[in-house]
Amino acid sequence: MTHPERILIVNLTRFGDLLQTSPTIVGLKAQHPAAHVTVLVERNFADVCRGIPAIDRVWEIDLDRLGRLLLGAEGGLRQAYHEIEELVAALRAERFDLALNYSSSRMSAVLLGLIGVEPTRGWTMTADGYRLIAGRWSRLFSAACLNRRQAPFNLVDYYKRAAGVTGGPQRLLYDVAPAARAAARERLAGSGVAAETPLVAFQLGASRAVRRWPTASWVALGRELHARLGARLLLCGGGGDREVGAEVAAALGPLAIDCTGRTSIAELGALLERAHVLVTPDTGPMHMAVAVGTPVVALFFGPALPFDTGPYAADHVCLHVEVECAPCDHNVTCLEPFCRQVLAPAAVAEAVVARRANDWAALAAAADRWPALAWYRTGFDAEGLADVTLLGTRSPRRGETLRRAYRAFWKAVMDGAPERAASPALPEAGAALRGMLGLTAEAVRQARAVERLAAAGGDLKALEAAARTLEQLDARLFRFGAMHEPAGLLLQLFRFDKESIEGEDVAALARVTRELHERLAADAHRLAALLDPPTVRTGAVAREGEDHASLS
Amino acid sequence: MTDHLEANLRALAARDPARAARVAAAAKVGTLAAAVSGEPTLVADGVLLHSRQDPRAEAARWAATQCAGAADPKATAVVFGFGLGYHVEALAARWPARVVIVEPDDGLLRAAFAARDLTALLGRVELAPAAIDRADIAGWGAAVLMRHAPSLLREGTALRGLQERAAGLTALRELRLRVLVVSPLGGGSHPIAGYCARALAELGHTVRLLDLAPFEGGMGAAAQFTPRRRAQRLVEEAYVRFLAAGVLAAVDAFDPDLVLALAQAPLDAAALAEVGRRGAVRAFWFVEDHRLFPYWRDVIGGYDYFCTIQETFLAEAAALTAGRVCYLPCAADPGIHRPLELTPAERETFGAPVAFVGAGYRNRRLSYVPLLDLGLRIWGTQWEGAGQLLSALQRDGARISTEDAVRIFNATSVNLNLHSSTWIDGVDPRGDFVNPRTFELAAAGAFQLVDRRALLPALLVPDVEVATFAAAGELRERVRYYLAHPDERAAIAAAGRGRVLAEHTYRHRMETLLATVCAHEYERLRSRPRPATAADVARLEAGTPLGRLLGQLPPATPFTLDGLARELLERKGDLSDPEAVLLFLHQFDELYVREARA
Repeated sequence: MTHPERILIVNLTRFGDLLQTSPTIVGLKAQHPAAHVTVLVERNFADVCRGIPAIDRVWEIDLDRLGRLLLGAEGGLRQAYHEIEELVAALRAERFDLALNYSSSRMSAVLLGLIGVEPTRGWTMTADGYRLIAGRWSRLFSAACLNRRQAPFNLVDYYKRAAGVTGGPQRLLYDVAPAARAAARERLAGSGVAAETPLVAFQLGASRAVRRWPTASWVALGRELHARLGARLLLCGGGGDREVGAEVAAALGPLAIDCTGRTSIAELGALLERAHVLVTPDTGPMHMAVAVGTPVVALFFGPALPFDTGPYAADHVCLHVEVECAPCDHNVTCLEPFCRQVLAPAAVAEAVVARRANDWAALAAAADRWPALAWYRTGFDAEGLADVTLLGTRSPRRGETLRRAYRAFWKAVMDGAPERAASPALPEAGAALRGMLGLTAEAVRQARAVERLAAAGGDLKALEAAARTLEQLDARLFRFGAMHEPAGLLLQLFRFDKESIEGEDVAALARVTRELHERLAADAHRLAALLDPPTVRTGAVAREGEDHASLS
Repeated sequence: MTDHLEANLRALAARDPARAARVAAAAKVGTLAAAVSGEPTLVADGVLLHSRQDPRAEAARWAATQCAGAADPKATAVVFGFGLGYHVEALAARWPARVVIVEPDDGLLRAAFAARDLTALLGRVELAPAAIDRADIAGWGAAVLMRHAPSLLREGTALRGLQERAAGLTALRELRLRVLVVSPLGGGSHPIAGYCARALAELGHTVRLLDLAPFEGGMGAAAQFTPRRRAQRLVEEAYVRFLAAGVLAAVDAFDPDLVLALAQAPLDAAALAEVGRRGAVRAFWFVEDHRLFPYWRDVIGGYDYFCTIQETFLAEAAALTAGRVCYLPCAADPGIHRPLELTPAERETFGAPVAFVGAGYRNRRLSYVPLLDLGLRIWGTQWEGAGQLLSALQRDGARISTEDAVRIFNATSVNLNLHSSTWIDGVDPRGDFVNPRTFELAAAGAFQLVDRRALLPALLVPDVEVATFAAAGELRERVRYYLAHPDERAAIAAAGRGRVLAEHTYRHRMETLLATVCAHEYERLRSRPRPATAADVARLEAGTPLGRLLGQLPPATPFTLDGLARELLERKGDLSDPEAVLLFLHQFDELYVREARA
């Protein structure tokens, strides 16, 4: 991967994810100016790519058509087969020398396995059909998706690191086309919006109901912003948001300009560029506003967290509803999404007014007035990684301290950054980690025994028995990770690391396995020490075995 | 005439000496007569097999018709009925590929061999074995089946059965059916539903087992509503209607080609009519004694195929239905009823010199008492009030799981198998059918003593493949004899197991059932909308990577993502490109399309 010349980036299905790929693409191009970058994308989202700089070719795949073929009459499956066969042949003919898969789905893994680019980063497939997550940053990202409370980094930083991009722009990028800009200007002028009129955009919709803010809240916010700023309200959303758009527009009357379901992606970019602030849940348009340089007041509730998918650029505002159950599990339908009610329109209005004025002192004061919310300012840390800083005088809650400690640990593990002990110490989390040390040590001993037997050759039965014992130890470790949240991400990553061991040579496989076990043991020690430094240690040790007697 | 016989026998012996010997030993059947043309013709069982005018001219017309109707001239021509061979000669002269003759009647062949010089013909055509099995039919490859109608008109020969079976099995090669197996709520036939479903799946069909065991408690609880019998019956009938509505919902969801209901399955006449309206073939396997369970009279008319374990009752059943009636004896599932390596502890727990697993019917209670001092152990339910036998009863008469029953079979020296009777004290002299336990014990490689049954000898050779007793009075002596002769026990058990594996598994039974259904319903089943098969698409994709992959799959694999994925998951090693493309589409389908389809 020293100097790739033909790069394939796969990001099939999401508008926001595509925009979040932009710093990586631009960074790659900066590091490898001669490289030709192709982005493979679902046809509906191809227009997003056309505004992202540094893409040489947008390769569209028409998944709607594929779906119609499979739903259709006899012969559809054959046709679909041949279309994918042709797609694969065409992609292979491009002779890419680096593939980055940013779609974490088995479907994309199979596709990457078929195209067979060497090297590939992200989800791909082994020759015999198993999922393989190539690259440790990609594995850490996939593991973090399953352990989101510990999510150490912003999605964009995973993307960058997986691609080997060390610098790159510290913002998302999207070039608004002049024609779209003209169309937006015309539309706003037609609605009586003058250049100096304060314009606040509302992104009403979101991909799932649990991510949407109530209609009444939008209406209350609109009225307050008009009262305080004299603002007009630009209602944004897709075709599925027309109904809520009409409701909010009806309630706000002439203050609102309802654009829901009426804009192309390019025009949405142009409208957001013209807005002074966008208020939005965690959505694709949030990333679009960031990309066109419009300040965002982002509302995080339900499954959304500002730490991993928040705005990737400095000086945006995130309001996070810190409730015990956050973030929602993606597989759970909440019957009482009270977190949306905690997010009061008056608080959001204060954030918009202060951000419009670029008044961070006012924002900090507002944060103190609304302590049920965590108010964050986006930015970057000393290592150049995206971060959020708590506004106001309130001390961070335990969850925030824990997340910061993990972040410091993972920066040390992945980037070699200096280690920083948690402050204040987190004795319970440290105790949980120390509870697995006996098990990791046992696993290391067993992995060494397997390695010795594999190296000696000959006694296959003994080797199989030893490997089986190691598998059982692994199963206990994974169970420990499932039961003890502080160990979850570490063990999930270990699991993905083990799954990604490849090769035929038994001795070499045994050696890599032993190395992984040694690394896990060392990391567990290191994390335990960082969470609960020995000098201040107070916590009890949760011993594996006692905790799981009922499961074994 | 004698000259023809010997020459013909020599010609046959060159290919099939055993068959030639049987033909030589057989008694001639039929009466020869001279046709107007001077050629001999034959009347057998009252049926004139060839023209009285000109057998050769008639044969030439027959052969021309057969050849004109055959789509694939490279296929094997399989002729059912030999007669005096005129039509076979005419066909062999025109047909470019293999010709196979099916004629199980050695006496008929002897008559033909004596009457005509067939030496050239016997060098050209092959004679199929007297009993055709799946392997023979597979060996034909692509085949065109040709019926010599006069031969098939003869009563009492095996030819019709063979023709039906061959037609069914040949049709089955092209059909992968969707079969819904409906279990009863409980009772002895409940596990058989599971065995049938397994066997059908092993045969390559798409099967859904509708296991109604969870509803058994509801039926038993009907008495809680009222102590009045009549009112209870109304509640039970309503419950059966409720269950039948559930079965219909399952039929709508699964869209089966065939609904196979086991005895006691809760399907009433109205529900069966609805199933028929949906286009599914309805089959019932009545694995019970028709004398003991007269309900069969109420349901038989609702089924297209009614299978009974009592061959002796076919005519009586046939009189009450427009559907077909067939004999389908019980069987074993060798995946479950199998020899086990038992630990010493298991032998201690489950073993005994002599044992019985089953319910405490009166004739068993009376017959087993004399065995108490031989180390008898009794396992199973309904032994309440069994007097001295209670000292031999294990686990306080709890229900014995199938797994434990197989352990007991394996650990016991002499397994008793007295067919139940509620009106005879010992062995039922009118007993005909053979119970599942007989096959299950044999499949497990266990030694058993079974009472003589009218239908047993055709299934297992008495005292060679299974030890028998004729009366309760001789049971004690038989047990003592076999306890003293372990080698004989082992030899009989091994022979019994061999026979069951070869002929009496549920797989065999399901194949027979499907062959019967397909022989009569082939066109109907084929015309039902169903996805193209791997073989269909392999033909369209000949020479392409997809075509090559599909050619390696079982021909009847449905060309759907689920159907293909099921087969592809079974394959080992690295994925080929076509496999990976199909896997991609399968993943895509699961992510985005499945919900829209539902």
